[in-house]
Amino acid sequence: MDESREIVNVEAVSRRFPLDHDLSTSHGHKQAHSFVRALDHASFRVVAGEFLAIAGPSGSGKSTLLNLIGCIDKPTEGQIRVDGVDTSMLKPAAMSALRREKIGFVFQTFNLIPVFTAAENVEFPLLIQGVAAPERRKRVAEALDGVGLAARANQRPDLLSGGERQRVAVARAIVHRPALVLADEPTANLDTQNATQLIDLMRDLNHRLGLTFIFSTHDARLLEHTPRILRLCDGQIESDTHTGSHLEGASNE
Amino acid sequence: MSKFLLLAFRNVFRNRRRTLMTLLMVGGGVAGLLLVGGFFAFMFRGLRESTINNGLGHMQIFTAEHFTRDEVRVLDTGIDHWQQVAASVKAGEHVRGVAPRIEFYGMLSNGVKSAVFMGSAVDPAAEKSLGFTTLLNTGRDLSSKQEGETEALIGVGVARSMNVKVGDGLTLLAVTSDGALNGIDVNIVGIVRTGFKDLDDRYLRITLPSAQRLLQSDRVTNLVVGLDRTDNTDLVAAQIAPRLAGLPQQMTLKKWIDLAAYYQQVHTLFSAIFIFLGVIVFFMVLMSSINTLLMAMFERTREIGTMLAMGTPRFWIVALFMVEATLTGVLGAIVGVVGGNLLGWLLNVSGLHMPPPPGNTVDLPFRVLHVPSLMVGASILVIVSLALASILPAIRASRLQIAEALAHV
Repeated sequence: MDESREIVNVEAVSRRFPLDHDLSTSHGHKQAHSFVRALDHASFRVVAGEFLAIAGPSGSGKSTLLNLIGCIDKPTEGQIRVDGVDTSMLKPAAMSALRREKIGFVFQTFNLIPVFTAAENVEFPLLIQGVAAPERRKRVAEALDGVGLAARANQRPDLLSGGERQRVAVARAIVHRPALVLADEPTANLDTQNATQLIDLMRDLNHRLGLTFIFSTHDARLLEHTPRILRLCDGQIESDTHTGSHLEGASNE
Repeated sequence: MSKFLLLAFRNVFRNRRRTLMTLLMVGGGVAGLLLVGGFFAFMFRGLRESTINNGLGHMQIFTAEHFTRDEVRVLDTGIDHWQQVAASVKAGEHVRGVAPRIEFYGMLSNGVKSAVFMGSAVDPAAEKSLGFTTLLNTGRDLSSKQEGETEALIGVGVARSMNVKVGDGLTLLAVTSDGALNGIDVNIVGIVRTGFKDLDDRYLRITLPSAQRLLQSDRVTNLVVGLDRTDNTDLVAAQIAPRLAGLPQQMTLKKWIDLAAYYQQVHTLFSAIFIFLGVIVFFMVLMSSINTLLMAMFERTREIGTMLAMGTPRFWIVALFMVEATLTGVLGAIVGVVGGNLLGWLLNVSGLHMPPPPGNTVDLPFRVLHVPSLMVGASILVIVSLALASILPAIRASRLQIAEALAHV
């Protein structure tokens, strides 16, 4: 893994949402009355292998920022580069391809496909990439083994515990070897023990595989294990704290 | 691809109660079409066979001239040496027999008053061998053993008009093939009710030798061909046509369907009714499925958002919804075909009867035929209907804003 390789570059990014849908006509043009600024001129960069937490209270813009980095939303102003690709120039199909190939997602509510087994859920990103069946089977087995759920591969999500479901979601996010894994409040629906285990798992994957993780949280306990914390408040970056080298874990091995 | 189909298949059974209701609705539509269509098919078959067995036959052979010009003299467009033609036709496969006929007209008289008749002359033995039935009101059919006085059947209208009954005599007058006037006496052996008043008022039937004696001609108007099965009509027609081509007179072969105007009218009317029913079922399935599929889409908003976030191409989402709907259509069609046939079988064994149709006194048995083409057609109808119904929900699902879909509760 090239440590200096830039994975994410956020440059003066703002995102405004219309406050309401009460549109009035002015000179024949429809205009929104007002906007809420969810993100305000945020700038930072993330290099390969980093383990970055975006912290802040509810409504501070964490999810908005993750959505923008994850190419599922577009900034009102500014520019975001993901693994060297300027996302502002991309058409929807190219954005979709970028997400498919370079980004893995972990969601707060797990968002597993309920009719698929754990293994089939993990297989899905490979399926949409058109990876051949034997290769898919091998990589799914590796990914599930990596999150300690090889024995639960054939269980459907409704038979798994919350912690297990989120670990399946992590396996799904890393199975296609993305450049970046984004996790939006991944521990919010887990108890403390499962939350700690999940963060440990993500940290372990970060160390072992050199995967770049960006996750949002407002749980202070989880930030203790995080080498870099980006604090947001009212859509602005309040602080960007490096508490340790992102290669610390890797160098320990 | 198999995983994609697996996903679609499992999604179909995700909400079992709703899927069951959809399958019952779709299946009900298919079963309804099969029952109505099967009953119509039974009616068509009954009407077809009764039309054929009432004397139309499966095919009729005429001279080509019969259709191209009017007769100047009686039977001058008739078939000469008809025995030779009949023997040639009879030698073919699936041919049960050939019955010669003469169609003629003239006057009949009871000695006090006269009336016009439209007569037909038949070979009773040949008619009987083909299973042709005469719609007798009273008396008996013509005897094949022609001895003594000439026998005749008359319509109920003729009997009333002439004030005669079975056992009475009438005198027939007709112009011969030479243009002279000729007459014979006949003895009434039976009175016929065809169901058509105009025909009953003019109906006369005598034997072929009597008519040939009256008309002074050896010719016949046409030859009626009876087959073992109606389904063989096209096959036998194709076999007979080359044989007719080698005869001294140019011949024309008409299949029963070309001569059965009433059957065609009934068939057209009931086919239109059936198509109308099909259209109703199509829109019923379409409208209710759109609602069901939109509900399914709404419930799966976050899941679709997740799939889109992971980079699933939008056309995959469209295809997924359409495949799911099509699968539901296929399953509904299977339910409908199985259910419809089962219901049809139950109705058939129940011995249910319908009130007698117009012109009949006997109850019509309620039977449902199991028609494979109908099963295929009704199945395709609902499958297409469901596939079309899925287009709107599928497009809506594929156009979801990912961030909003992920936040959907």
